[in-house]
Amino acid sequence: MSKQFYYHTVLMVVIVYAAVLLNTGLRGFPKPTMQTLVNGAWSAQVESFLEEKIGFHDSLFRLKSQIDLLIGERLIQDVYITDDMLLEKLGSEPTVSTADSVNVLNQFYEKYRIPTYLILVPSASEIYEDLLPANAVKENQQKQISEIYTGVMTGIRYVDAYNILSSLKEEYVYYRTDTHWTSYGAYAVYQSAIRKMGFTAVPYNRYVVSHLSTDFRGDLYERTLYDDVKADVLDCYTYENGGKAVSVTAYYADGTEEDRGTQLYAHSRLESGNMYEFYLGRPCAMLKIRTDLENDKRLLIYKDDFANCMIPFLLQHYSEICIVDLEQSIGISDRLANPEEFTQVLFLSSMESWENVWMHIGQTE
Amino acid sequence: MYLSTLTFTLLVLPLLLFLFYLIPSRGKPVFLLLVGFLLYGWGNPIRLLVPAAYVFYDYGIGLLLQKVEKHHTFSRCIVIVTAVLQAAALTVVRMYANEDSEFLFPLGMAIFTLHGLGYLIGVHRRNHAAEVHFCNFALYLTFFPVLYAGPLISYSDFQEQLCKNKHHIVNLGSGLGLFVRGLAEKVVLADTLGYVFRELRQTDTASISMLTAWLTVIVFSMYLYFELLGYADMARGLGRCFGINLPKNFGQPFWTPSVTAFMESWNISHVHWFQKNFRDFLFRTVKHRWTKYASLVLMWMLIGLWYGSTLQFLLWGLFVGVLLATEQFFLNRILKRNYAFGLLYTGVSLQFAWVLLFAGSMSEAGDYWRAMLGFGAGLADRYGLYFFTSYIVFLLICFYIATDLFRNITERVAVTAVGKKIMSLMPLIECVLLIFCFACMLYKSIPIELWLKL
Repeated sequence: MSKQFYYHTVLMVVIVYAAVLLNTGLRGFPKPTMQTLVNGAWSAQVESFLEEKIGFHDSLFRLKSQIDLLIGERLIQDVYITDDMLLEKLGSEPTVSTADSVNVLNQFYEKYRIPTYLILVPSASEIYEDLLPANAVKENQQKQISEIYTGVMTGIRYVDAYNILSSLKEEYVYYRTDTHWTSYGAYAVYQSAIRKMGFTAVPYNRYVVSHLSTDFRGDLYERTLYDDVKADVLDCYTYENGGKAVSVTAYYADGTEEDRGTQLYAHSRLESGNMYEFYLGRPCAMLKIRTDLENDKRLLIYKDDFANCMIPFLLQHYSEICIVDLEQSIGISDRLANPEEFTQVLFLSSMESWENVWMHIGQTE
Repeated sequence: MYLSTLTFTLLVLPLLLFLFYLIPSRGKPVFLLLVGFLLYGWGNPIRLLVPAAYVFYDYGIGLLLQKVEKHHTFSRCIVIVTAVLQAAALTVVRMYANEDSEFLFPLGMAIFTLHGLGYLIGVHRRNHAAEVHFCNFALYLTFFPVLYAGPLISYSDFQEQLCKNKHHIVNLGSGLGLFVRGLAEKVVLADTLGYVFRELRQTDTASISMLTAWLTVIVFSMYLYFELLGYADMARGLGRCFGINLPKNFGQPFWTPSVTAFMESWNISHVHWFQKNFRDFLFRTVKHRWTKYASLVLMWMLIGLWYGSTLQFLLWGLFVGVLLATEQFFLNRILKRNYAFGLLYTGVSLQFAWVLLFAGSMSEAGDYWRAMLGFGAGLADRYGLYFFTSYIVFLLICFYIATDLFRNITERVAVTAVGKKIMSLMPLIECVLLIFCFACMLYKSIPIELWLKL
């Protein structure tokens, strides 16, 4: 090789480095302390800082995922890429056995003896199993759900969300780029849940549906940066003659309170990266909503964020709803609300985060 | 700090090379020594104690051996005691440094043990004098590029080259090219293979199908090959940037008609070390017509133990050693006549051997062997089929890179006018590769530790 050849190599490498390094923002570069320097935490922080902030991050990420897809891998960052939608890969083994989960629910019911309802929502990957790549192995959520349902005491009533949603799978019940169900999916389950809870559902045609955004790209998009799946539509259902929230108070895990006035929805979140937070605003440990309805029905909900878009429907039936977010209130959920003050209790969680929910109910014992 | 992290490639490497070429020649060894210690202690300074202890010990023993060179037996005793002590230390440390404990395995301990012993044996045999300059010796033992997976270099070769090479731009250009290639082998190929391998191993081994078992073993063997190859090429690239030519550690062994031919291009410098310092010693001391075969088997058992300190590794060495001895004994004559049989025999027998390198226990290895022979749970399962269909293209690409198939065509093209044009585009190709390496490094957090505790 001539000397020129090596000059070229060095020059090209220097150009690549210069381009990448000059575009790597140094803002927020982790600062070492004596302790993190010694125990290795700082070096891990630096590495993950570079993974996120490296120049041309998104282009590099797309380059890698496009090449993976070209070679035949359909899984990017634990998300299956299909033509129609992005589907999360379900964890292979639940760490909590269904029998343990059932015990916790039964103990809760035995302690308080309040009418208790249970809704377990399957993941989109369970409903749209046929879209997954051939032979992809996934845990059988349907089986887990029915095991829990058959295990709970007769006093706990449950709603078979799996069958409702899978019979509507041709409709828009799950977002294409997000793990959550759509408002329509939530409405379908609400319809049959509220009947079991002793009310008549508000008919679909009473609602005015407004499209808040037709360019919603959810958490699965954030993880994969895959553009070829159509963006989602974020809907808001309003019932003009129905109940309205008169006071909304948020309680955070650090003990602070926030009076949100009469605002249930957070329109400001539509401008943010996480549009799904529109429904209940910034995540908090507990949210207390009073409505202008004059009855003595008070509902306590233990939930994960799947419940967010169902709350507006439930509002039409209760004078007070108290929502405890089990993922936000680790270790304090039992101090937040006393179930004895309520007339009904609803456990509403996606099957994917059920293990976490179980863990926190366990702490109330 | 691992070489395949963004912290090293993106931040440390440019700074390191810049400073290295800036400071005068006399300061370069000290600079490299300091950098090596800094990288070694990065994030966990306590680990530095192990290489430091080895440096002091081997340096002192080296001078002692020089002093007592007239008493040959005494000097030999010192070397043997040191070898036994250090092998025992390696074994003990490996046993305590598992994933569950707080104690991390001191990176490169197996490598600098061999370097140190090789140096002492060299002094003992008067191949070279003991090093008086402490700094030069410390640099040899802790030369950071080779600490991950070699290649090994003899002490005299290392000292001869240290900072004497003047062709800066040729060194830097070819070194960077080699480093990028090694990085790509590690982060593009080995990391993906490692991911597939770890996924495949999650299946319950008692109910494993034939397809999954074969796929797991094949993916593992490629993963091990590309990981060791990648680190060795990165080391060679860095070494060249610093003006030190490290020997080649791997050929392209995956399409060879005999296990002998396979092992001739597998971990070349390490096998050579054992050949020179262990097998030759046996040859000289024990004169018997079976020594040839026995020493071969013993040497491979030792290499197995050097890879890892469990029964499985020992058996792996025994397995490979027996295959090699059988080939030398009579099988080579048959294999030479029958190329296709040779390929099949090498492929199949080695796959059975690789199982031992990843199985956590002998019963797990037994499960895999049973499944590979068709006595597992059926021919194929969904898990195996999924990974087979998703990664078959990738595996074929890896396989092509790991073999020397069609190489002579490439070489013939390279000397033509078109070939030369393509060759002059190599810098561009290397840059594209580098960009793709960055993409792979930010993409997935896979454990970057080596499979083998070297």
